[in-house]
Amino acid sequence: MPVTFTFGEWLSARSVIGSTLAELGGEYDNLWTITPEIGATLGEFRALYPDRFLDVGIAEQVSIGVAAGLAYEGNIPVVSGMLPFLSMRALEQIRSDVCYPNLPVKIIGTHGGLVGNGGSTHYAVEDLALMCALTNMTVTSIADPLMAGDILRQSMKMSGPIYIRLGVGKSDMVLYEPGQHDIQIGKGIVARDGYDATIFTHGTTVAQALEAAETLGALGHSIRVIDMFTLKPIDADLIERCAKETGGRFVVLEDHLAYGGLASRIADVLVDRNINLTAFERLGIPQVYAGFGGDEELRDKYGYGLTSTISAIMRVLATK
Amino acid sequence: MSTSISLSSEPKHTVAELEDLAYELREKLLYLCGTYEGAVHIGGDLSLADMLTALYHYGLNVDPDDISNPHRDRFILSKGHAAVCMYISMAMRGFFDFDDIVATYGQLGSAYGMHPCKVQLRGVEASTGSLGHGLPIAVGMAKSARQKGEKHRVFCVLGDGETGEGSVWEAAMAARSSQLGNLIAFVDRNHQLMTSFSEDRVVLEPYLGKWASFGWNVVSVDGHNMQDLVNIIDNLPSSDSTRPTVVICETIKGKGVDFMERNIAWHAGSLGAADLERAMAALESTRKVVSA
Ligand SMILES: Cc1ncc(C[n+]2csc(CCOP(=O)(O)OP(=O)(O)O)c2C)c(N)n1
Repeated sequence: MPVTFTFGEWLSARSVIGSTLAELGGEYDNLWTITPEIGATLGEFRALYPDRFLDVGIAEQVSIGVAAGLAYEGNIPVVSGMLPFLSMRALEQIRSDVCYPNLPVKIIGTHGGLVGNGGSTHYAVEDLALMCALTNMTVTSIADPLMAGDILRQSMKMSGPIYIRLGVGKSDMVLYEPGQHDIQIGKGIVARDGYDATIFTHGTTVAQALEAAETLGALGHSIRVIDMFTLKPIDADLIERCAKETGGRFVVLEDHLAYGGLASRIADVLVDRNINLTAFERLGIPQVYAGFGGDEELRDKYGYGLTSTISAIMRVLATK
Repeated sequence: MSTSISLSSEPKHTVAELEDLAYELREKLLYLCGTYEGAVHIGGDLSLADMLTALYHYGLNVDPDDISNPHRDRFILSKGHAAVCMYISMAMRGFFDFDDIVATYGQLGSAYGMHPCKVQLRGVEASTGSLGHGLPIAVGMAKSARQKGEKHRVFCVLGDGETGEGSVWEAAMAARSSQLGNLIAFVDRNHQLMTSFSEDRVVLEPYLGKWASFGWNVVSVDGHNMQDLVNIIDNLPSSDSTRPTVVICETIKGKGVDFMERNIAWHAGSLGAADLERAMAALESTRKVVSA
């Protein structure tokens, strides 16, 4: 089973995405990359396949609409940009031009969560709620930079759209040793096994959940960490299994609004499948427009940092 | 201007004084960029420095001690990533304390950060940072002034790359439809976006013609020539007029620091102590050329 958790290697998810796209561009002569002027990641692809690269300028709606047009003509477009703008400015284009006709458009971007210190215009904190609401959309949120490349590669087989969420993507911890985990779209990853409680998380907070589990492990608590990187379709069977195997004690931790993201998706499964828990806590962004500060500082300030995570686990463990 | 109520306590500056103020603004921008550990959008700050000096110290009818006076001119920085240029201009005009900006910029809980936040920073008219939002908001403010019979103007500063957003042109059409002569847009036409030069991937030309065809009063000016900026401000059409005005300011991204000028790498960045010295020296040399 998993567990090997090394705070060692750091990689840029953006550069992994960049080189993966360059590789895929050679394998698929119908793969395109499109950007609304945030194209630094696409440099390698652009150099190799300039005729399949398009920078539409600062025009997110157009980037998605153009991708839909390309997809109608048999191409596989990847739109790369900043998620607050792609997920909100271009929301209707994503819904009506891409999801409605179920086109194989891939949307990949950075700034998911309270990251990057840009202030509230630059934090995508409701994007997962919006994307999960769209029929036909597959929704992912990725922690491990190598995995970002993996998921992009897997998504080439898909016939519909996918949303791939990253944090800042400049420097991310490698969490999973290549080949050690079965990483498949639609399946949660058991990032650390345990039997007293489960933390479900995704994206930028996976490392924090692992750290909390490790800290509590030293105190004799056995905490399972599930990287639920696919929010839609959700791995309902895994949720059910964790309820049985970890005493019905759940903490959901995410760099997204606490209501509307993973916690809400899990709550839906619990209600739909009539699963009773002993304790359920959700940690995420409250109903505020957050201000400035470092990523960790903001998580601490808004009650979903490491200390809060440990406290929440302690509370669910204490629930009889 | 004649019919509006004057709020300003500052005497009208001469062009030479305004040039000195713009120089000081650039020094302060570099200082922040050299002392803050994160990235500052210095390229697009420096291209705006003369424009914002002309507006804050000459054009805008505002009073730092009476920030919600209904007769004040409204100012919206639609290219919100140049927030520090606005913060420091406002500090030099008496709204804020420069040392406070330097001490807290980008820190947890600070009101001063990468993009302007109206909620946290009193005196900022609109929260911006997502491009393409400022002009529609400005149209709303100008429309409200009309309905209330107020004579002030609404000023909005946009980036040229920003005008790739469709919302800019939708607002341009709405402004003309509502005959908002009280609306003045300034475009920082520095021919650069974040990762590219204009006309390279994104073709903006014929730029003046685009605005003219939307029915706007179009003025083109060297955005680094203070005398010209002052002339433009002196000759703005009355706020009762029926055409919105756009002032296309031809500028250089990174203006004043040779190694930043027209350099894609300096859209945003941070100067270490050594590069701060180098940047200050580069700025200093432009001053000698001017006064020689
Ligand atoms: C809606 C939106 N899309 C993308 C960005 C990211 N971004 C910030 S600055 C910038 C380039 C802006 O170019 P321009 O308007 O010409 O400004 P300047 O060159 O003067 O800095 C981009 C793409 C953003 N802030 N908002």
